[in-house]
Amino acid sequence: MTNKISLFAILLSLVMISSCKKDKTVIPNEEEVITTLNYTLTPVGGGTTVTMTFQDLDGDGGAEPVITGGTLVANTTYTGALELLNETETPAEDITAEIKEEDADHQFFFSTTVSALTVTYEDQDDNGQPVGLQTKIITPLVGSGQLTIILRHEPNKSAPGVNTGSILNAGGETDIEVTFDVDVQ
Amino acid sequence: MLEEKPILRLLLTWMYNKELFITLFFLLPLCAFAQECNKTVKGSVLDFSSSEPLPYVNVYIKETQGGVKSDSNGNFVLKNICPGDYHIVFSHIGCDSRQVFIQFKNDTTLTISLEHNHNVLHSVKIQDKNGRSTTQNIEQLNKQQIGDKANDNLSNMLEELTGVSTMRNGSGIAKPVVHGLYGNRITILNNGVAQSGQQWGNDHSPEIDPMVAKRIRVLKGVSSLQYPGSNLGSVVLIEPDKINNEPHLHGTASYFFETNGRGHGTNISLEQFNPKLAWRVNGTLKKNGDRRTPAYFLNNTGANERNLSIQLEKSFKNKLFTDLYFSTFNTTLGVLRGSHIGNVNDLKSSFNRSVPFYTEDKFSYGIDAPKQNVNHHLFKLHAKYYKNENHFWDVTLAQQLNNRKEFDVRRSGRSDIPAMSLLQHTFFAEAKQTLILKNDWKLINGLQFTFTDNMNNPETGILPLIPDYRSYESGLYSLINKRVKKSFFEFGVRYDNVFQDVTAISSDLPRRLLFYENWFHNISANAGWTYSIDDHKQLSYNVGYATRNPAINELYSNGLHQGVSGLEYGDTSLNKENALKTTLSLNLDFDHHSAIEALVYYQYINDYIFLEPQSEFSTSIRGTFPVFNYRQTNAQIYGFDLSTNYELLENLTAKGTFSYIRGKDLTNDAPLVFIPANNFTLGLKYVYPKSIQLGKKVAENLEIGLEDRYTFRQTNLNDDQDFVPPPAAYNLLSAKLAVDVQLRKNRLRLFMRGTNLLNAEYRDYLNRQRYFANDMGRNIVIGARLKF
Repeated sequence: MTNKISLFAILLSLVMISSCKKDKTVIPNEEEVITTLNYTLTPVGGGTTVTMTFQDLDGDGGAEPVITGGTLVANTTYTGALELLNETETPAEDITAEIKEEDADHQFFFSTTVSALTVTYEDQDDNGQPVGLQTKIITPLVGSGQLTIILRHEPNKSAPGVNTGSILNAGGETDIEVTFDVDVQ
Repeated sequence: MLEEKPILRLLLTWMYNKELFITLFFLLPLCAFAQECNKTVKGSVLDFSSSEPLPYVNVYIKETQGGVKSDSNGNFVLKNICPGDYHIVFSHIGCDSRQVFIQFKNDTTLTISLEHNHNVLHSVKIQDKNGRSTTQNIEQLNKQQIGDKANDNLSNMLEELTGVSTMRNGSGIAKPVVHGLYGNRITILNNGVAQSGQQWGNDHSPEIDPMVAKRIRVLKGVSSLQYPGSNLGSVVLIEPDKINNEPHLHGTASYFFETNGRGHGTNISLEQFNPKLAWRVNGTLKKNGDRRTPAYFLNNTGANERNLSIQLEKSFKNKLFTDLYFSTFNTTLGVLRGSHIGNVNDLKSSFNRSVPFYTEDKFSYGIDAPKQNVNHHLFKLHAKYYKNENHFWDVTLAQQLNNRKEFDVRRSGRSDIPAMSLLQHTFFAEAKQTLILKNDWKLINGLQFTFTDNMNNPETGILPLIPDYRSYESGLYSLINKRVKKSFFEFGVRYDNVFQDVTAISSDLPRRLLFYENWFHNISANAGWTYSIDDHKQLSYNVGYATRNPAINELYSNGLHQGVSGLEYGDTSLNKENALKTTLSLNLDFDHHSAIEALVYYQYINDYIFLEPQSEFSTSIRGTFPVFNYRQTNAQIYGFDLSTNYELLENLTAKGTFSYIRGKDLTNDAPLVFIPANNFTLGLKYVYPKSIQLGKKVAENLEIGLEDRYTFRQTNLNDDQDFVPPPAAYNLLSAKLAVDVQLRKNRLRLFMRGTNLLNAEYRDYLNRQRYFANDMGRNIVIGARLKF
C-alpha cells in the first residue's frame, strides 16, 4: 500500500514539475481588424477636399474612437472614396483592397439625416451590383445632420431595394457602422 | 461464512461491481458427477430495487431455444437440462432484458434480479452492499432509455428528468441546467472524471457520447463532496458498465434514422470477458443535416459526431482490480447561418423577421461557418485495491485534452481560420480510501489533484475572450455515514486549494502581456438525513454549504463575445461565492399502483457572480455593442420538482410532473436571468402484458406511450434584462412505440419516437437561437437495437 501512495506522490510531483515550463502566450496578429475609415470627398468642379475619419486603434471596447466629421459646400457634387485601414500594423494595411477583391460579398450603405443630401453608388461588382467604395454626393443648399456608413458582409444584394442603397432587406453581418456629423454651408 | 473463500470472492466481486444489476448466487451443488440430461435449474427472479419477487418473467435458454415463465411468486423451474454452458435470457414487462451465462454440471438454484425501467418515475435508490441508501436525491436514465434516445445528445436526453432543463444554441448545441445552475456551477463526471473543457460558454456542449453509458444519473440535491468541481450545483454522472463476466463475445449494434435533419446514427459495442484481460469497444457515428422548423429550414444546422471508447479490465488475485478507459469524442456542429451577426443593430433587425436571413428552401448536410469543431480525448487509469472487505482503496489517474475551434463568417477566406481556438489539457489524480468500521460506520477519505492548462492558439488573429491560464487545484475530503434503525445519516467536509496562474493580453495599446496570480481556499460541508417509514416511503433532508472561487472567465473575460454580440468584461476584484442549499424530498410508493416524488429546494448564494448588462453602449468601428460586466450580488434560487404516477388500469399508467423554479437577485430586487421556465408534463403509457408469438420468434414488452409537455412563458424577468421579451408558452406532444423480439440467439428491440408531433411553432427561453428563428418542428425517429 505504501508503494501505491509513493507512486501516486511521484506521479503527482512529476506533473507539478513538468507543468512549470511556461509556454509563452503569443499576442495574435490582428490582421483582420479595421481600425480606420477615411471618407474622402472631392468637389467635382475643384475646391477643398473634405476627409471624414473614424479611427479606433484598440478595436472593440477599450478607448473611445476618434471621429472627425466634415463641412461640405452647399449645392456641390463631390466624388466620394472610401479607404479602410488596419493601423495596428506598421505600415498600415490597406483593407480597401480586401473589400475590392471580395466586392460581390460586400456593400456599403449610406444614410443621412441631412435633408436632400443624396449619395449614389459609382461602382459595381462583377454581377453589376453596387459596392460603395466609390460614390457621388450631391449637397443641398443648406443643412446639417449625420451621415451613417454601414458595411455589410455577405448581404443579399438581389433582395428588393438593396441595389439602390436600402439596407432593410440586405441581411449579412455588419463589419463597419460609423456615423459622422455633417454640416452643409 | 466469510472465511469460505468462494463466498468471499463473490462478495468482493459484488462489492467491486456494487451496482451490478444481476447478482448471481450459486448455491451449493446438491449432487455430483452425473452427466445425463436430467438436471434441473430452479430459481427466482427479483426486482432489483425492491427485492420483491417478479412474477411471470420469461426465461429463455438460447442453446435449447426453449423456456418457461416464472410463477406468480417469481419462481421458475427448468427441467431435463443437460450439463453444459448456457446463455439464459430473462425478460419481463417494463424491464430491460438480462442475459446470464452459466456453466452447470448439477442441479442449480439461481437468484436473478432485474431492473425495472422507471419510465414513469426516474428516481432511484442507490444501495451499497449493506442495503443502505444515500440521502442524495438522484434521478437516472438507464441503458434502454439512453438507447431509445440515441439520436439525442446528452443534454437533450437529460431533459426528460424533472428539474433538468437545457440551455441551447440551436438544437445541436446543448448543455444541462439543473435547478437553475449550469456551466461552471455543475459538475459532469464522465466515468468518474470531471469533464474538463470550456464550460463557461453558454454555447459549449459537454463533449461526451451518452451511448457509452450504462446509466446516466443526476444528483439533484446537495451534491456529494467526493466529486471535484464547484460543489454548488448538481452533479451529472455518466457511468459506463463494468464488463459482464461472460467468456463469449457479445455486444449490441444499433441504428436509427430521424426525419428532421435526415439524421442517421449507428452505435456498436463489443465486449468479451477473459480472466487475463476483459475488454469492451464502443463506437458511435452520427450525422444530420439542416434541421427544420414547421415552416422553413434552419440552414447550416447540420452536425456530425465520431466517437470511440475502449475499456479494459484486469483483476489480480481478487485483491486488485484495475481498469483502463480511453475515449475520444469528435464533433462538428453547424450554427444557424442567420444567427451570425455583427453589432447590436443586426441583432435588433433580426427580431422583426418572420424568417431568418439566409434561409433557403434547400436541405443540405453541409456545414459551413459559423460552426464549432470540438475534439475531446480522455484517458483514465483506475485501480481498486481490497485490503480486506472492510477496507479498500481507489486510485485514479486521468488525462483530458479538449480542443475547441469555433469558426465565424470572416473576410478574405478567413472563415477557414477559427475565430476562437482553445486547447485545454487537464490532469487529474485521486486517491480514495473506503473503510467500513465497527457499528456500521462507513468512512470515505479522499485526496484529489487537478492541473489545468488552457491555451489560446494565436492562429485566430483575434484577441482572445478568455486568457491563457494554468490552475492547480488540490482537494481533501472526508465523508462518513451510518444507519441507525430507520434513519440513515451522512456528513461530509471538503477543502480545496486553488492556484491560478494567468497570462492575459491587454485591451489597450500597445498590446502587452499581463500576469496575474490568485490563491483561493474553498471549504464545503454537508449533512443529510433519510428516514425510511418503510421500504416504499422515505423522507430525506439535506443541507450543504460551499464556497466557489471565481472562474477565469468571470475574472478576466475581455472583449467581444460573438455569440451574443456583447462586450464582456471580467472583474479581477471578484470574491468567492458562498452558497447554502437545502433540499427536502419525499418518496412515496403505494404498492406499485401509484407513487409520488416531491423535492423542494432552496439555495442562497452570497456574492453570486453574474453578467450584468450595463446601461451605456460601447462604440467601435463595427458599431455599437451592449456591455456586460461580471458583478456580484446576493441571490436566491428556490423551487420544487414533483412527479407522480398512477395506475389507471392494469398495464395503463398515467404520469404527471411539474417543475417550478424562481431565481432572485436580492440586492437589486430583480429576477435572475437564464432561469428555466416552469413546465409540466402529462403522460400515458400502456404495456401489452402478453408475449406475441411470431412463428418461432416471440415479441415482448410492446409499449405505447404518449406525452405532453407544457412550458410556461418565463414571466419572471424585467424588460431591461433581455433584448426581446421571453417567448410565449408552448406545448409539445410526443409519442413512443417500442417492442422487443426474441430471435433464436439474439434479441432485437425496435422503437419509434415522435417529438413535436403537432408541429408547434415555438421558441424556448433558454435557446439563444430564439432571437433569430423558431425551434425544430416534428421529428420522427425509428431505430433498431440488436443484442447478440
